Amino acid sequence: MAETVTPDLLPAAVPVQEQQDKPESDLEPGFLVICWNDPVNFMDYVTHVFQMVFGWPRKKAEFHMLQVHEQGKSVLARESLEKAEHYVHQLQKYHLHATMERDE
Amino acid sequence: MRTSREQDKIVCQMGRREKDLFLELLSLYPRTPPAPRALSKNSVLPDAEASQRMLDEALAEQRVQNRQLLQQLMLDLARFQVRPTGMKLVLSEADTEWLLQVLNDIRVGSWVILGSPEDPHALDELTEETVPSVWAMEMSGYFQMHLLKALTGD
Repeated sequence: MAETVTPDLLPAAVPVQEQQDKPESDLEPGFLVICWNDPVNFMDYVTHVFQMVFGWPRKKAEFHMLQVHEQGKSVLARESLEKAEHYVHQLQKYHLHATMERDE
Repeated sequence: MRTSREQDKIVCQMGRREKDLFLELLSLYPRTPPAPRALSKNSVLPDAEASQRMLDEALAEQRVQNRQLLQQLMLDLARFQVRPTGMKLVLSEADTEWLLQVLNDIRVGSWVILGSPEDPHALDELTEETVPSVWAMEMSGYFQMHLLKALTGD
């Protein structure tokens, strides 16, 4: 059953031709994956989700969870457009408030 | 709920009353409104419309799939063992991970229905209207914490 929902750590490889079609800026790690604070998700749950989605050790996941809790947000990753999108999808599937923003 | 690990499985045992509450809670899924969730807060993204549509579709598909998986779980006698005294749930780690997402949908959805209060524990008053969502939010949190504890071994 739930085998199908085991989170992937990375998006599937993008075919070379498709990559060549994309503007170079989309392939550069110019997009930030940000998690925003909310008053409903448990701290332990958020830590666990970070571990699952990014494959982080617990200490790193806790560091970012506390940053979200205390500073209102945490930048979790700086990625290409496609990878950033993938991470936001994963985090939103867990109902965390996550978005991607241009790193300007 | 009592949880334990048996080899690679997580076993959850509930008494009769707890089982009834658990089933009532799961019947609320999906609880989050199907309203789109923004992919970006402040940025104009390339192909923003298509990207947002992809996210909306992925989340909608997840709701449909989770509903089916919930039904399958309840019919699977090896994993979902209902007894006169209660219930035994035998879950793989992936099942548990998935159930956590389902329970969190109910928790977050109930909070949204309550108006997304800044402090969910300080609602002015409990009314006939708010009690079901407060109950669902708290109960899903209760089961979530047990599952998390079983997963992480804390």
